[in-house]
Amino acid sequence: MKKYIIGGSLVFLGVLLSFPLFSMSYYTMVRTSTPEFCASCHEIKPAVVAWRSSTHTNNAAGVVVDCMDCHLPAPQDTFQFFFAKTYHGAKDVVKHFMGSAYDRERAREAAYAAFDNDSCQKCHRNLLYMPTQRGAMLAHRSVVYARPGYEKKCVDCHYDLVHSEKGLVMFRQTRKIPYQAKGLKQL
Amino acid sequence: MRRTLLFLTTGLLAIGLSVPAALAQQPNYAKVKEFRIERSVPPEAQACIECHRETTPGIFGDWAMSRHANANITCLDCHLVQPGDQDVSQGHEQYYSRSDLPWGEAKYKMPIAAIVTPKDCSRCHPDEATQYSKSKHANTIEIIWKLDPWLNKGMNSDSERKVGCLACHGTEIKIDDKGKIDPATWPNVGVGRLNLDGSKGSCTSCHTRHRFSVAEARMPEACDSCHLGPDHPQIEIFEESKHGTIYNAFKDEYNFKAAAGTWTPGVDYRAPTCAACHMSGTGKVPSSHDVTSRLSWETQAPLTIRPQDFKPFPSGTNWQDERQQMKNVCSACHGESWINDFYEGFDTAVEQYNEVYFKPAKAKLDDLYEKGLLDKTKYFDERLEVEFYELWHHEGRRARMGTMMMAPDYAWWHGFYECKLRFVNFMEEANHLIETGQKAYIAKDFPNATGDTTRPVKIFGDKK
Repeated sequence: MKKYIIGGSLVFLGVLLSFPLFSMSYYTMVRTSTPEFCASCHEIKPAVVAWRSSTHTNNAAGVVVDCMDCHLPAPQDTFQFFFAKTYHGAKDVVKHFMGSAYDRERAREAAYAAFDNDSCQKCHRNLLYMPTQRGAMLAHRSVVYARPGYEKKCVDCHYDLVHSEKGLVMFRQTRKIPYQAKGLKQL
Repeated sequence: MRRTLLFLTTGLLAIGLSVPAALAQQPNYAKVKEFRIERSVPPEAQACIECHRETTPGIFGDWAMSRHANANITCLDCHLVQPGDQDVSQGHEQYYSRSDLPWGEAKYKMPIAAIVTPKDCSRCHPDEATQYSKSKHANTIEIIWKLDPWLNKGMNSDSERKVGCLACHGTEIKIDDKGKIDPATWPNVGVGRLNLDGSKGSCTSCHTRHRFSVAEARMPEACDSCHLGPDHPQIEIFEESKHGTIYNAFKDEYNFKAAAGTWTPGVDYRAPTCAACHMSGTGKVPSSHDVTSRLSWETQAPLTIRPQDFKPFPSGTNWQDERQQMKNVCSACHGESWINDFYEGFDTAVEQYNEVYFKPAKAKLDDLYEKGLLDKTKYFDERLEVEFYELWHHEGRRARMGTMMMAPDYAWWHGFYECKLRFVNFMEEANHLIETGQKAYIAKDFPNATGDTTRPVKIFGDKK
């Protein structure tokens, strides 16, 4: 009997201590995952401004794609997500004070290199059946079912998409020029 | 009574037969290709089609017969650009500032570009474009600028280059002060064209506009607009070979329209065309748009070397692997001893060309330069330079290529025979100069040596 009391109180103590710890870290994660938080660094601010005018925030479905949705591993890869987020946060602070000047173009290339098709395909899942865009149907097949040696990234063709310096708000449904992938960046 | 009836029936029959015949034979009956837009096509693309079926019926009709039209791929899918792009067609934009707008309405105005590049094609055909970008076709401008004395010494004029060399190799597309494509660089469908978007080449070299046919590129005629003549008569060599003989005799039975990846030797064609050996998938060999990937010798180079050792553009391949690939292609129709013994003959011919003809002639040429009997300032302005050039660039290539593709007349009479004569004459003159110490005559009236000698900045950067 005594054994159970000791055991039970230990569990209770554990919950009592860990609950605020967990909720605090969760709260921190949520607070530091907003585009507003990202924009609090002046290096990142232009990227957030451009993102706000892109079709990834302005569309009739009302879908808003946050920084984290593209730039970090999917939250279901919980460990990866936490690790990558903490690592990048810490690195950015260190670089801000110690590193050389922020080179946006280099950062852009690094982001493209880091992107994973899974990140895009969290939302863009129905890529193979687009009766109005038969060319895209063909191209997407060569990505989803890539031949060995011909693996491609979504961002190889779809780049300068969100953080382009148009200076205009682009609303997906009223876009005058139909959207088109740009073709392979490396060509 | 009976007679009247007979007359009547014959008369009626005659009229009945002749009227439809006359209708069918109506002269100048306009045959307009119909294209009913019954599928989802953006209204702007419909506008393109409606205008261009009238303004450019040839282009429209050709496109309407293509697989692109079949798959709902319209003008816009290839020609659309973003506003502010360098190559936005000014003429097309200007149309919309007219007051009458006889064709498209202003609401259909789209920025379009005349030139469609491999990068544009890669939107839907990324793997093909990637393969192509690695080929010598795509990189031919870099190669010729690293090798060619016509360009580097400015020995021909810009016009001669545009209508000659660069028509096949490709121009460097430029935009002039008025925002239009510089006519000195356009029209051009060269295989290595330097496009404004940075991509190299032109898919329409082989898949001509606006049909973009797979079948066409499988035919040797797709290649013969460039691969012919004294310096690289591949089409003539092919025609002389048994492959060409069979092609000419049986091409009506060839199924050129087989779906991609299904074109099968022995089933769809009886003997190969250029594409069949150099590009198409055969057995376990996958198809590739890198047309130069299955080569094991550079038979066009002055000294025949392996593709990986070709300094201007190392292939990055291993020649043994590539030869094995080509042998696998051969083996669709040929037995092992046929293939191996053929390659042994080819290797021997290459070896002999290298050792017996090229190297001694090159050594003699170097000797002449060293002794100051030939002048290095320019090229082609001294007879021995021309002789040496033609030894490797003309008959030397014919000998090697004729051997490779089994055309006896090109291997011998147009090839090694001519090499022999050239070699003897070259050596006689060279030895004469060396013995007498007399300097070679330098042409003082070399015509039209006015071409630009700056290398394309896009490839070589700013440095000289």
